[in-house]
Amino acid sequence: MKQYIVKRCGYSLLSLFLLSLTIFFFVRVTGDPATLLAEPGASEADIAKIHHQFGLDRPLVVQYALFMFKLAQGDLGQSFYYQTPVFELYFSRLPNSLLLAVVAMTFSLLVGIPSGILAAVRVGTFWDSAGKLFALLGLSLPSFFVGLLMILFFTVYLGWLPSSGSGTPLHLVMPAFALGWYFAAAHMRLTRSSMLEVLGSEYIKLARLKGLPQALVIGKHALKNALIPVLTLAGINLVLMINVAVVVETVFAWPGVGRLLYEGVSFRDFPVVQGVVILGGCMIVGVNLLVDIVYALIDPRIRLEA
Amino acid sequence: MTTPFGLAESNPQRDFPAGATRRSVLALGAIGLIGSHAKPAVAAAPAGQLTYGVHVSLAPTWFDPAETNGLITPFMLLYAMQDAMVKAMPGQLLAPSLAESWSATEDGLNYDFVLRDGAKFHNGEPVTADDVKFSFERYNGSDHAALKSRVEAIETPDPRHVRFRLKQPWPDFLTFYGGSTGAGWIVPRKYIEQVGDDGFRKMPIGAGPYKFVSFTPGVELVLEAFEQYWRKIPSVKRLVLKVIPDEATRLAALKRNEIDIAYSIRGELADELRHSPGLTLKPVVLHGTFWVYFPGQWDPKSPWHDVCVRQAANLAIDRKSINDALTLGFSRITGSVVPDIFEYYWPPPPPEYNPAKARQLLADAGYPNGFDAGSYTCDSSYANLGEAVMDNFQQVGIRSKLRPIERAAFIKGYADKAYKDIIQGASGAFGNAATRMETFVVKGGAFCYGSYPDIDALYPRQAAELDYARRAAILRTMQELVRDKAMYVPIWQLAFINGVGPRVAESSFGSIPGFAYTAPYEDLALKSA
Repeated sequence: MKQYIVKRCGYSLLSLFLLSLTIFFFVRVTGDPATLLAEPGASEADIAKIHHQFGLDRPLVVQYALFMFKLAQGDLGQSFYYQTPVFELYFSRLPNSLLLAVVAMTFSLLVGIPSGILAAVRVGTFWDSAGKLFALLGLSLPSFFVGLLMILFFTVYLGWLPSSGSGTPLHLVMPAFALGWYFAAAHMRLTRSSMLEVLGSEYIKLARLKGLPQALVIGKHALKNALIPVLTLAGINLVLMINVAVVVETVFAWPGVGRLLYEGVSFRDFPVVQGVVILGGCMIVGVNLLVDIVYALIDPRIRLEA
Repeated sequence: MTTPFGLAESNPQRDFPAGATRRSVLALGAIGLIGSHAKPAVAAAPAGQLTYGVHVSLAPTWFDPAETNGLITPFMLLYAMQDAMVKAMPGQLLAPSLAESWSATEDGLNYDFVLRDGAKFHNGEPVTADDVKFSFERYNGSDHAALKSRVEAIETPDPRHVRFRLKQPWPDFLTFYGGSTGAGWIVPRKYIEQVGDDGFRKMPIGAGPYKFVSFTPGVELVLEAFEQYWRKIPSVKRLVLKVIPDEATRLAALKRNEIDIAYSIRGELADELRHSPGLTLKPVVLHGTFWVYFPGQWDPKSPWHDVCVRQAANLAIDRKSINDALTLGFSRITGSVVPDIFEYYWPPPPPEYNPAKARQLLADAGYPNGFDAGSYTCDSSYANLGEAVMDNFQQVGIRSKLRPIERAAFIKGYADKAYKDIIQGASGAFGNAATRMETFVVKGGAFCYGSYPDIDALYPRQAAELDYARRAAILRTMQELVRDKAMYVPIWQLAFINGVGPRVAESSFGSIPGFAYTAPYEDLALKSA
């Protein structure tokens, strides 16, 4: 088991190293940040001054080495645009993103799981078709469109909800719905397919043959197993919601990490983009590592195969 | 170019009374006739809160005049938190502020400023000549090298008097010092030496009408009225500038009275705003001019080498229809690349829309069936304008393909002379007609793909001319030549459209000519409850 965990940790570190390498060089392909920080037609000397100020005049390999050296010390650098440490910016936004993600995830699970169960239990009926339509709309309608429709309806026409910003529970309603709907659809689809698979298994047939009530078969015996992949996906989705709710956070001016990433990309703020991607990557890799270890603890076959 | 496209601010003196020369104005300044000795008016204590929906993320560098980068956007905050020796104000494009008067010596080598008595920073310290010198020397933003290289020394004989000694006469000194740079915006020396540059940006102190309260990067900036501001006590107690990046969300917030002022509402949303009860549309015509430019005009093999072809392109654009469709008719159609509020602007005849004449000119030039003009390269933010102009060109036979490029990359490519065929350019840079010529018309200009010797020859002559009228005449000739050669096909000065909610009694939009935002901030007022 120890060897298994060490191996998985090694893979995780390798993934993070590759991520840092990719994002570091990829973000630099987007262009020169100095052209956004200086006035149009700025002199070569002014551009060079900005390059020097941010260390962009050094060879890329040196820049990367310095970046990794600082990263190892827990320093993600300073935002070009905000002139504030990236850690400070990230962690000032993280609570808002966590709050939004938790509410959106709760909504997506509360909607996605029951509708997935209903669609699976009533497969081929109206409820199944309605569930599939819900999933289709959820996965195909862009969240900015859903967000703007909600603003139009609930803010402009009805005047019930604030259009943007944060601060009260009412501010959470629309962004959480817009963000959660897509994931609710994904959870509904997975719950449905997982339930269908479980409902066709031998032990469920046996439970039914024993004459157990339908609710008990579904609720106790089928759901437990069917939910495992759903909850695994939900864990990963939660991390995604925290870090890449770019569109929803921008439309609703929600001060979260996704909007910070948007700002970083807009201003070619390399340290911000690198920082958000790497911290988000750490969360995803960390969650995956945790899941792998928990799986291995529960199921010895996994660690033995590994 | 950030707000609307990096529009910057000018600070010319063209709005002085007819017949007034720069020297006469300076002389008046010297005897204090145009210098105001205004004291804070007796007014009620500031009250209420005014909330903005801002279209761009506010940057801490904008709190610091030393970092001013030649764009208009930082001035949104400078006008609130800081104050300048001289700056554009309602009715005056170069108005006395912290300097109650100024004068220049006859030889144009010395500029003397008298500081306003009683002007204070937010920490209660008086604004002194020492702060003025420190602010100039600390200035590191756009044109800092050009400005500092011309100044021999700054003398501060006493706390209220400052003299700038120039190396050579430079007629544009005030254009740069008082307008196009942040060098004339005064910061407190003692405080900055105490907290450092980073500390200053975290907790800025200025001499403006509003003082800093808090800043959450990317989210909001909170300011509070400075009751000891020299000009007047601000009427509104608290300003909150909320960043709302999405335009539709800003409009929704305005409709629901979550915000009182929404910056930058365009196209169909602006039309929606216009028809919303209780809301007011506030368009501001900026000094950002848009044009079409033909790098091929210096290539004898290019169709654009022929002036008739360029004139045909000029006649082919239906500017009025484009303006009505894209900016509700609020942009100002122009025939010049020089904004109409710039000093030394020469007003050309209004551009004509005459597609039949355009076709005739093309036929005369040997293109009766038109020609393939290649790519029409533009900033992608203004691709809608490009599509409309390109369509007009197509109707007279000039066929091209739209090539929208992301803004920063577009500007870099433009400056690097990377484009051929047709460029849709724009500039909101500060300055006057001479600075606009320097950048876009004469040889060596940052965005010049070529030049004409007769125009080039006039440029150094105007730069050395100290007599206002003679200099104006030379610059007029230069602008006439640019037009006659159809070197540029100007389109419009863009209207920056904003929305104001029902609680606002005075928004200050448009008070300062060409300024995009709500300034002076001390003039803002809310309706009484």
